[in-house]
Amino acid sequence: MGGGAPVVSGLGKGLGIALQAGIAAVLLLLAWQLAHGIGAFPAAVPSPIDVGRAAGDLLGSSRFWTAVGQTLSVALIGWAIAAVIGVLLGMLIGTIPLLEHASSVLVEFGRSFPMVAILPIVILIMGANARMEIFLVALSCFWPVLVQTIYGVRRLDPAVVDTVQVFRIPTLLRVRRVLLPAAMPFISTGLRVASSIAILVAIGIEILTQTPGIGRQITLAQETAHWDVAFAYLFFAGLLGWAIAGGLSAAESRALRWNRRREG
Amino acid sequence: MMLRLPAARWIVLLAPPALVLVLWWFLSAASTSVFFPPLSKVLDALVRDLMNGVLPAAALFSLGNLFAGLVIATAVGIGFGLLIGETERLRLSLEPLIHFARSIPQVALVPLVVGAFGLGAGPKIATIALAAVWPILLNTIDGVRGVDPSIRRVSRAYRIPALLHFRRVVLPAAMPQIAAGIRVALPIGVTVMVVSELFAANQGLGYYILHSASKFMLPETWAGALLVGLIGYALALLFIVVERRALGWYFRSGAK
Repeated sequence: MGGGAPVVSGLGKGLGIALQAGIAAVLLLLAWQLAHGIGAFPAAVPSPIDVGRAAGDLLGSSRFWTAVGQTLSVALIGWAIAAVIGVLLGMLIGTIPLLEHASSVLVEFGRSFPMVAILPIVILIMGANARMEIFLVALSCFWPVLVQTIYGVRRLDPAVVDTVQVFRIPTLLRVRRVLLPAAMPFISTGLRVASSIAILVAIGIEILTQTPGIGRQITLAQETAHWDVAFAYLFFAGLLGWAIAGGLSAAESRALRWNRRREG
Repeated sequence: MMLRLPAARWIVLLAPPALVLVLWWFLSAASTSVFFPPLSKVLDALVRDLMNGVLPAAALFSLGNLFAGLVIATAVGIGFGLLIGETERLRLSLEPLIHFARSIPQVALVPLVVGAFGLGAGPKIATIALAAVWPILLNTIDGVRGVDPSIRRVSRAYRIPALLHFRRVVLPAAMPQIAAGIRVALPIGVTVMVVSELFAANQGLGYYILHSASKFMLPETWAGALLVGLIGYALALLFIVVERRALGWYFRSGAK
């Protein structure tokens, strides 16, 4: 750690980059406003000022916060269910090579299946409600968690496997202290991918059905031609996804510092 | 490589899916539930509508949109990715915006684009392209940045013209990463394709599923869902084959 100069210049560089990014964003908004002004966009596209105003209004409305709460809670519950089942099943499959080989076609099929395709059937059976939404979110999030857990467990060092066997480490202890930590870098990637799928599927279902949440609000705004409100919701949906991804990768790099250090 | 697997491995590989189908067949055979029709009826519906041209027409519409959307996304993603990845200033200023745009749940665009521009293929292609472009763009940028600096120096020392430099130096070097981006974009495209047709359509696989469900023709609904699943799976497999062929040099080099 030599002197303050590099730190300061690093800080200055960071500020410079932030400034550049800010300028780029402002330029983009200006271009949008200009294009809107000269009528280059279809009538449905609102001006950024309108969107900004609508976004401000939304922040003060209880309907917005209810919708965010509904989407978030459904996505979170579905994601959590998928995480538990996916990790447990993934550890089971990943530790038994025969099982992994035997399940590979089914797993590959499951993860390439767009779960929204069975939405009409699931609605008929369960109705258009939060329970149905959670079910489909969990079903969609399950696959990336499962696949990543299998990858993670499989890369376990054979020497470690042998050691664990020689010392007759009890199964539970083995799972908790050997398998889980070793597979964690991969599992956390799966959880991160699943989190954006959770939001995606939740909003997708809300758009297609009457289930309340952000997606439903977007469809309502579109149906009543309140395009500024629809764009504002889109903006907040992006902010939500961005915040969740950012939060998870911050948590990941904190929790997995040991892994980075070892590899770095 | 797969062909050299001994028969036993193939049996282990294919037995579980076969078992699932057999179980489904027998467990649903006596089913009187409207929602879970016997598999025999589902397969009847599948074969009938495949033969009479209903499903092939629907699949052609859906896959055509998917393909067009992915081609646009790939062209735009690679083009801008090369430009942004090569220009440090541009990258630093645009990266936060790109990350934000990528975070927008792609299906949220469906009501806006399809709702505003109607039922045809165009709006659906636009939504698919808009959803699929981000992983390709981000991966291209990463791939371009990962090009070995010494290769860049050689290219510069020999004064390789900019276009040739892009086409023969940067693009091939970034290709594995770009392929990874397209692989991520593929399932996103399929999902958006289905959602866009469930939202509003008068043709396509999503429409077939929705339409039959609304008429309580559940065998057709299951058949449609099954076909979508098979197509998704086939696309994933096809992509792996194409990737292995096109990037043979990369996989042979032992890089992972």
